[in-house]
Amino acid sequence: MIKKKITILNSSGLHARPSAALVKLAGKFKSDFYIHMYGYRVNGKSILGVMTLAAEQGAELDIELDGPDEKEALEAIETLVANKFGMEDE
Amino acid sequence: MPFSSQPPIPIKEKISVDYLVEKLRERVNISLLACAAEKCGSDRFITEAELHRPGLALAGYVKLFTYQRIQVIGNTETQFLENLSEEEQKKAFRNLIQFEIPVIFLTDGNVLPFYLIEMAEEAQIPIYSTPYETTQFMYLLRDFLDDQFALQTMVHGAMVDVYGIGILIVGKSGIGKSEVALDLVERGHRLVADDVIMLTKKSSVLMASATTMSKHFMEIRGLGIIDVMSMFGIRSVRYQKRLEVIMELTLWDDTLEVNRTGLEHDHVKLLNVDIPLIQLPITPGKNITVIAEVIAMNHLLRHYGYDAAKAFQDRIKSTIAEKTKGMDPSMKRAIEYFEGDLE
Repeated sequence: MIKKKITILNSSGLHARPSAALVKLAGKFKSDFYIHMYGYRVNGKSILGVMTLAAEQGAELDIELDGPDEKEALEAIETLVANKFGMEDE
Repeated sequence: MPFSSQPPIPIKEKISVDYLVEKLRERVNISLLACAAEKCGSDRFITEAELHRPGLALAGYVKLFTYQRIQVIGNTETQFLENLSEEEQKKAFRNLIQFEIPVIFLTDGNVLPFYLIEMAEEAQIPIYSTPYETTQFMYLLRDFLDDQFALQTMVHGAMVDVYGIGILIVGKSGIGKSEVALDLVERGHRLVADDVIMLTKKSSVLMASATTMSKHFMEIRGLGIIDVMSMFGIRSVRYQKRLEVIMELTLWDDTLEVNRTGLEHDHVKLLNVDIPLIQLPITPGKNITVIAEVIAMNHLLRHYGYDAAKAFQDRIKSTIAEKTKGMDPSMKRAIEYFEGDLE
């Protein structure tokens, strides 16, 4: 199991489309993916779960990955977050 | 199991007196009359669910005085004060308000003399009075505070009320939890929450509800997000439901041991509450929705005192006993004589 802190960079936060991108990416990996925020833990492969967090720009999320491909998954997720979910900042 | 390792959400550390009073008026329907220091309510905080009656503190014994708790002054305390002279009353009351008390409630319509109210005002300790009887008020207040300071956790799954039994469907992402929940809703059962479920411990019961954010939304793979309430109407949802059975969907695996008789019951501990667990491997041709309904009905039957697995076992035992007594060992037909049913 690996854990890492990530920060949301998008100016409009983790709204529907970035959440969808994150969930879709996480779903490609076998590892379990959880996000911790405000003491809550949600399943990172569930779009409703991720959107419930309503993470704003600058919000810090602790992500937790557990499984055979956790390293690759973490790398991919980090890249996605750093690229602002591949979205033009609106 | 992925859900049993769910950490509890940190408990609320404190609630302000203002919040408490507002919610008691709104939610619990208690009339509360502000007597003193109403404005200080936003800076006074309650940190525990316990209540205290400050009889001994008024009498002068303050060694173990739990001043940080809500203080309830009922008939006993009021009558004790009434039997004192004004000076003695002030002295007794000072014993109390020298501490940082969050709030004082006067129950049963009791009142305090104006000079004591003034003292509380000065010490910035809010006082409210209520017409409720002391024990009744304390019961309502405790119930409210227990809920506010209750243990909570968040689980991933789908929570449905099936024939009045709260079933939580869990399993890996993409296994079809939401689809089963949707199917159940279609058949007239009620959705509590999908995907993000808040569990709150209330005495030895776990209550499930949605979060304000995800309330009655659902994600169906390939379709996106749907709103169950506007699609199926108000009868298809409910706010809260006691969690009674967990149904875990798993992929079929030959090495997996599945329960074949129903004589043993698996349990899982969530927030230290034992919840019956049913593990259901998914195989082609299996109608999970119907099985969910059967789980609910079986649970109800067991509650009403009928356990099918036990009844069957009793039948086997009595047959074996008959055989050992030398009775006819041959397998019998379910009826002894076919009447002429030639249709």
